[in-house]
Amino acid sequence: MKYKIGIDVGGTFTDFLLLDGGGETAVYKVLSTPQDPSIAVLEGLGRMASDRALDLESFLANVEIIVHGTTVTTNAVLTGNIARTGLLTTAGFRDALEMRRGIREETYDNKAIAAEPLVPRWLRRPVKERVTADGNILVALDANDIDDALAQFRAEGVEAIAICFMHSYANQINEEQAAAYVAKAMPSAYLSPSHDILSQVRFYDRISTTVLNAAVGPILGRYLTSLIKRLANAQYQNMLLVMQSNGGVTAPETAMRLAATTLLSGPAAAPVAGLAYTALRGDKSFITVDMGGTSLDAALVRDGAPNMTTEARIDKHALALPTLEINTIGAGGGSIGWIDEGGLLRMGPMSAGARPGPVCYGLGGEKPTCSDANLVLGYLNEGFFAGGEIKLDKKSAARAIEDHIAKPLGLSVTEAAVGMYRIMNVNMASSIREITVQQGFDPRDIPLVCAGGAGPVHAAMIAEELDMTRILVPRESSIFCAAGMLWSDFKHDYVRSYHTQLTPQTLDPVRFHAAIEDMCAQANTTLQSEGIPAAQRNFKYTLDLRYFGQYHEVAVEIGENLLTGPDFAAISTALHKAHNRLYGYDLESDGTIVELVNLRLTATGTTNKPPTIMEKMAGPDAGAALKGKRSIFLISENCFADVNVYDGDQLRHGNIISGPAVIEQVNTTIIVPTDYSLFCDGYGSFEMTAVQA
Amino acid sequence: MTTEQKIDPVLVSVLQRRFKSITEEMGLTLLRTTRSPILNEARDFVTGLYDAKGRMLEQTEYIPVLAFALQPVCEHIIDYFGDDIADGDVIIHNDVFSHGNQNADVAIFKPIFWEDELIAWSACKGHQADIGGAVAGGYNPEAREVWQEALRIPAVKIYEKGKRRRDVWDLIFANVRYDVVQEDIKAQIGGCVVGERGVKALFERYGTDILLRHVGHLFTSTERIIRKEIEAIPDGIYKGQSTAYYDGVRDGSEMLINLAVTIRGDEVTFDFTGSSPQTPGFVNAPFAATASAVMLTFLMLINPDIPHNDGLHRPLKIINPVGSFLNAAYPAATTFGNSITGPTSDAIFRAFADALPGMVSAGWNRSLNFVIVGKDPRHEMRHYVDILFLALKGGSGATQNADGFDHIGLINCAGGLQDQDYEMFEIQDPHLLLKHEFLGGSAGIGKWRGGYGTECEFIIQGEDITGIAFGDGLEDGAHAFGLFGGKNGSGNELAIEYPDGTICQPQTKEVVRDIPTGSIYRQRAGGGGGFGNPFERAPELVAKDVRAELISPKQARINYGVAIDPVTFAVDIDATTKLRDLSP
Repeated sequence: MKYKIGIDVGGTFTDFLLLDGGGETAVYKVLSTPQDPSIAVLEGLGRMASDRALDLESFLANVEIIVHGTTVTTNAVLTGNIARTGLLTTAGFRDALEMRRGIREETYDNKAIAAEPLVPRWLRRPVKERVTADGNILVALDANDIDDALAQFRAEGVEAIAICFMHSYANQINEEQAAAYVAKAMPSAYLSPSHDILSQVRFYDRISTTVLNAAVGPILGRYLTSLIKRLANAQYQNMLLVMQSNGGVTAPETAMRLAATTLLSGPAAAPVAGLAYTALRGDKSFITVDMGGTSLDAALVRDGAPNMTTEARIDKHALALPTLEINTIGAGGGSIGWIDEGGLLRMGPMSAGARPGPVCYGLGGEKPTCSDANLVLGYLNEGFFAGGEIKLDKKSAARAIEDHIAKPLGLSVTEAAVGMYRIMNVNMASSIREITVQQGFDPRDIPLVCAGGAGPVHAAMIAEELDMTRILVPRESSIFCAAGMLWSDFKHDYVRSYHTQLTPQTLDPVRFHAAIEDMCAQANTTLQSEGIPAAQRNFKYTLDLRYFGQYHEVAVEIGENLLTGPDFAAISTALHKAHNRLYGYDLESDGTIVELVNLRLTATGTTNKPPTIMEKMAGPDAGAALKGKRSIFLISENCFADVNVYDGDQLRHGNIISGPAVIEQVNTTIIVPTDYSLFCDGYGSFEMTAVQA
Repeated sequence: MTTEQKIDPVLVSVLQRRFKSITEEMGLTLLRTTRSPILNEARDFVTGLYDAKGRMLEQTEYIPVLAFALQPVCEHIIDYFGDDIADGDVIIHNDVFSHGNQNADVAIFKPIFWEDELIAWSACKGHQADIGGAVAGGYNPEAREVWQEALRIPAVKIYEKGKRRRDVWDLIFANVRYDVVQEDIKAQIGGCVVGERGVKALFERYGTDILLRHVGHLFTSTERIIRKEIEAIPDGIYKGQSTAYYDGVRDGSEMLINLAVTIRGDEVTFDFTGSSPQTPGFVNAPFAATASAVMLTFLMLINPDIPHNDGLHRPLKIINPVGSFLNAAYPAATTFGNSITGPTSDAIFRAFADALPGMVSAGWNRSLNFVIVGKDPRHEMRHYVDILFLALKGGSGATQNADGFDHIGLINCAGGLQDQDYEMFEIQDPHLLLKHEFLGGSAGIGKWRGGYGTECEFIIQGEDITGIAFGDGLEDGAHAFGLFGGKNGSGNELAIEYPDGTICQPQTKEVVRDIPTGSIYRQRAGGGGGFGNPFERAPELVAKDVRAELISPKQARINYGVAIDPVTFAVDIDATTKLRDLSP
């Protein structure tokens, strides 16, 4: 037993990181196979085996764990290829799903078309039943309505059924009865009852999440079943884990039941990877950015914990499960530069993507992109892109910039390219500002962890926009997410709504503690089934609190010791602190009543982390890695100059490089500007620091 | 021009992006910290930054009817205080006779100083749950003059040099019913502080000279975009009319909106001369409300992706004589003014129908609002107020190549008005919802149909209930109009069934007192107008609505000339061809 493998199935490439027991790593990239993504997975595993002169079976016999991130559910929703889903909901409210609370995102666009509902109206069936806000059953369940609906579902070939009744978070009896009835009458259907998926107040959030779960449940089930079968055929019998949107992993069986937990799992491993890299240095707070060809994913990790949200959206549908807060914007190497009607330069969000791609790829792209500007400025190497596999065409890039940007603005090609580069940096910095400054968090003292093929070209300038002074470029920058999966823990989130004023007179301690115990019992059952011993389980409690009369809650982490009473004063103090940090004021001195809305439990099961081995210190001289010189544009001097180019794979622990310089790796280029210095650490990662003037 | 220096076009783009992100950051602060649902759920507020002269640097209106709500006030405040503005001042304002747009929309302005010089203003305006006057909530159909509607707050300092003026503060809030308003005003001040912080950071980074020079260029650039958009519209004078119904005083009263739009080159003039005189009641608009209606409708007719700054307004001219119900003279009651946006936009769409057939929209449902004020027996009879957003959202008008949007609500908000979550609605209010669904058959038919309206029913379980109706859309002429052969959407309906069986059907502007506990509230919000000949609508789209039980097979046959099998929902092509051939 020695290998651990992280696999990140993306839209274009499937990335692999292979770790052996000694801490050595190997990176693989295989073209994805969207019709059945498990084909690419097996192909990558096959390559690993043959590189070690083994057949697949013998190789897999030496693999102890495979962690796997997939976008099959994400793609199913984005392309509309979801399972045929039926919805049972309280009579009188069959349109809540489609209405989406009546929001049109495109304010002035009268031609905007509403998001297609995940279940058409004829498959949204009303059921006579009603529970009130305080949990009383006003109308008992009428099973006749379910019979009628199921008859139709069968006729229409429905394979997944979502059930969401009004106030089922306050009393789930009607919903449970309906679920039991359906399970018996239509046992083949994938069942998604809202109290199981998200037992939380707010009807639209809950119904949307429950339906999303149903719509992708059978899809994920089929995919994982196929993958498990292929692995079993190759005699793989050890652990297979699945990445979730909350940044944790889970067993395939749990993932299949709660398929919606994988919906935004694509970029979710990046903050975890960031944690692994920064932990070696003692940084607990940082920002990760992962920049690819079309988009940039930015996330904030604070005090060792990635920021979470319960207001995620996928294709305009609400997903209220706890999800890593990742801000995705249309900014990547393929972002197109254009001049608006007022004569201002803009970059993106349109992207040339991989096809036709930037002009310099020579695949037919005609519009100048971010990569074209980077090439003209000397940041990318014509002859060494993707390790020399792709030759870049600098002349065409320059011509496209001249025609589309420079001439209309009356600038030189270089000035135009610099403008494109600067606008990209501002756009990317804005996306980081949204998840930091706009939430009351000052990013200046923490490092920027920059990954993705295109990220490290911009890293220093993005940091400068935000007055950040430290940048980390991890060694496995180009397959960051695959790496992160190997460091992920098991993680499961639970929620119970209990709306009450937080005072000894109003809060019923029996109900309060029953909710907590119920969540703990569920968490223990799941972690037990995943083989996590009690000693490796960690429970974190959060209360959603607000001031009396407010509409939005603040999630406040509360120590277990404060829950026993509960300690009303200490819990209120925690809200005041959090509110002040987020919004600049609190109402402690006003004596405003605090309200409880939801109780949450995050249960983690710690996994064994791969070993990291520190390379011996080699000293500051980086001369051995020097490849040559090339001319790049220096922003601070406003001119081109010849600078040293280093082979990143040849840099050794302790090497120090003063800017300006370029570091090249197979899939990444790092630009070290003037006034920055770069340090190669003992793990092969790079730390870039602004030199104090 | 000896001081003229080079403009860096990239920095202009950078500044625009920064200003935008600051106004959004201010908005986020309001969304998260205000308490009144009209602010944090309905997002009835606007945030903005203005230069030292009051010119708009950037603005984010969370609902479009506030597009012109801040700038005229900013100019007024600068004029009013002159030199008497100091760092740390905070100014409050709502007065419609000094450029406000609606009494209940209360603005906070904070001057921003850099190196001891006034350089900019940070401002936000939000609809408050109460601002004094004769009835709670601000909407008073019985008002005959402004003092019966609200406490008038002309520009007043509530902070002076960083210190709260306790006396002024207490004077204002002694005249406001609900404490929540104080908290929401504090949240607005918090939003302005966030804006101030952002602007100062920009001045620190770039310095005053460079910054101001580039701001001037930003205005010019935006002006160039809007002028190009106007230039693309054929020159001419375009006329459109529409009617608003019932002024709340005179039964059967009708108010005419008479609009002539002149496009000449890259300039546009909206001339409302000839519109009806102001009414004795509150169905009147301040100038700023009508100007906002014009701005928001015009942005729907052009490429709306334009920075919102001073340059946007330069080529637009509005002629709107004082004394008309679209620009009422002191001391008229005007709280209904924002609600005249519906009729005003109707007149604008009609005017542009021939010039911009590809962009113009059929009529939107005109909203009928009903505010409930009462006491909640579940919480020691505490007061509650609810403008029932859940009940009032109708459909929007269809356009060429696009059906209207279902359940979108009034055009003032253009889809920015989020309705209440059902479960939160029942937790916040003593109401039991019975139904909230799309209203079948409500969409105006056409080659592209209007958006569907909704029907809403609930039991009122509160006590001491008063209801205030203010709105439109009952009379035939007030239904969302169809265009180019499309038909009108359905009208609004409102009825309250008392426990003894009595049915109360309020007029569109009426205070209904003593609504008994246990009454059932029923409202139908109508659909949007259709666009183009319904007999040209794709049959499969008609079949889809039949299958969704939004129209019947019979309606498909009569309205669209489409024959549909009621069991399989397949289109009978031969029968459809026959039906359509027979049509005149």
